[in-house]
Amino acid sequence: MGAARGRLFGVGFVLPAAVFLVLVFLVPLVRVLSLSLHPVDGAGNPLPEFSLVQYQRVFTESFFSQALVSSFQTSLLVTALCLALGYPVAYALSRVPGGALRTLMFVIVLSPLLTSVVVRSYGWVVLLSANGVVNRFLVGTGIADQPLPLLTSYTAVVVSVTHVLLPFAIIPLTTALGGIDPHLRRASQSLGAGPARTFGRVTLPLSLPGVAAACMVVFPLSMGIYITPLLVGGANQPLAGLRVYSQITSVYDYPVAAALSLTLLVLTLVCVAAMGAGFRFWERRNHG
Amino acid sequence: MAETTAAPRARRRPAVARHAGRIALGLPVGLILLFLAAPLVVLAVSSLNPAASLEFPPRGVSLRWYASVLSSPDWSVSFRLSGLLVVMVVATTTVLGTLAAYGLTRGTFPGRRLVEGVALAPLMVPEIIIALGLLYYFQGLGLLNSVPGLWLAHSLVALPFTVRTIMISASRLDPALERAAATLGAGRTRVFLTVTLPLLRPGILAGAVFAAVTSLGEVAVSVLISGANTTTVPVRVFSAVKFELDPSVAAVSTLLMLASVVVMVAVDRMTRLSEAV
Repeated sequence: MGAARGRLFGVGFVLPAAVFLVLVFLVPLVRVLSLSLHPVDGAGNPLPEFSLVQYQRVFTESFFSQALVSSFQTSLLVTALCLALGYPVAYALSRVPGGALRTLMFVIVLSPLLTSVVVRSYGWVVLLSANGVVNRFLVGTGIADQPLPLLTSYTAVVVSVTHVLLPFAIIPLTTALGGIDPHLRRASQSLGAGPARTFGRVTLPLSLPGVAAACMVVFPLSMGIYITPLLVGGANQPLAGLRVYSQITSVYDYPVAAALSLTLLVLTLVCVAAMGAGFRFWERRNHG
Repeated sequence: MAETTAAPRARRRPAVARHAGRIALGLPVGLILLFLAAPLVVLAVSSLNPAASLEFPPRGVSLRWYASVLSSPDWSVSFRLSGLLVVMVVATTTVLGTLAAYGLTRGTFPGRRLVEGVALAPLMVPEIIIALGLLYYFQGLGLLNSVPGLWLAHSLVALPFTVRTIMISASRLDPALERAAATLGAGRTRVFLTVTLPLLRPGILAGAVFAAVTSLGEVAVSVLISGANTTTVPVRVFSAVKFELDPSVAAVSTLLMLASVVVMVAVDRMTRLSEAV
């Protein structure tokens, strides 16, 4: 098999998935695009003529534009938190010898990934509810006089979204850290560098591809997430995904939902492309 | 920074420094792992509470809510639907994903990168767009509140995981083995079925698990396209959480978690999941 069969080898294998993706992914996306380009009548039904009025609404009404800004900020914060919390775990995972401890760590890291996002969000609802563990701890220790309304707070949203996305950061970081030749660390130390310097000059730069991969997975996921903020923070959290959801389910204004979600998509793709370019630039600067 | 791979140089560092390094790393790591596990553990433990409200720590131990869930006709319809979807989605994405991953890894056709981009794109596209797109599209096709609609949606969400996982296996596959089989007289189909497929097995298994877990947990798209007759388990959990905090939901959630842990342990024995992600 192989090269002898010419330039078109492989098309037949890819064809079924390609047809599926065109029908179930690309066509709906194009329909959303065309939906976003029409004005609506009083009842929210799309009218036939072409118009950019939906995009005008997205950019001028602060209800939508603020949500986009807030989604962007929240995603940056969540990505930073996932890196900060994920890196030590990944570092420990890449260094801990095989055995029960390592298996336990992997189970803890991977089981949230394999558990429905609705279950994980529900766990946070239970933890943060008025008579939940966190509030009872706060009241019991005297930090708070009475149970705090944690469930509907923005902090709760950031914490729970970080929790949901953390495994997506740990896995690429572990792969990158595990791929570093331990001899390089030892070489650095035998040349007189202390542990901190070895980490800063050897381990950290070599793990950069993992950091890049983690950012480029966590950031887009965080931009679009809406189930977790909805359950933990309520429908009024100023996030673009939630605004789209409420436009669909309570206002039934599909065109503006389409325009907002496509703006969110473009913003996400631009950010991911910028991150990719940034990391490539850094790599080139470090490695000539 | 404690050296676990006993390097002579590291061993010469004083024991105190080594222990300090280990604690400096171990303590935060332990706390982060606790953060990861806490919501799931709290949920599992409070599902055992005999009282009618969620409490942690629980007042006692009882399987009352499990019994109530397993005997409820509503939940059992959802369990059957979710089970059916898992089977359909795993079958679809495994076939489509295996063929596509192989074609993308080995293919020489122009536009390969583009197809690969599209195949992996649902991972990058905010879930709410896929949800809106399918809601609007299925409305026109009459596929809302239907099993085929959920099947297509779950397959779409799961496919990138399957393709990516199998592509890793396919890129490690040595073409010389296939050439050898072909030289020995096996036809193309026979080579693919008897040489290629068995070699791709670890990737296919891992991909199938991801597809199963994705379908079993999918809410973001399902919430918008399912209806009264097609409430999957996670969608039922979603509406229950939105409206009340009933311990039976904690019991269902725990059952879902157990299902994924079983799947993960089973797969960990067959392949190294951590490499496949």
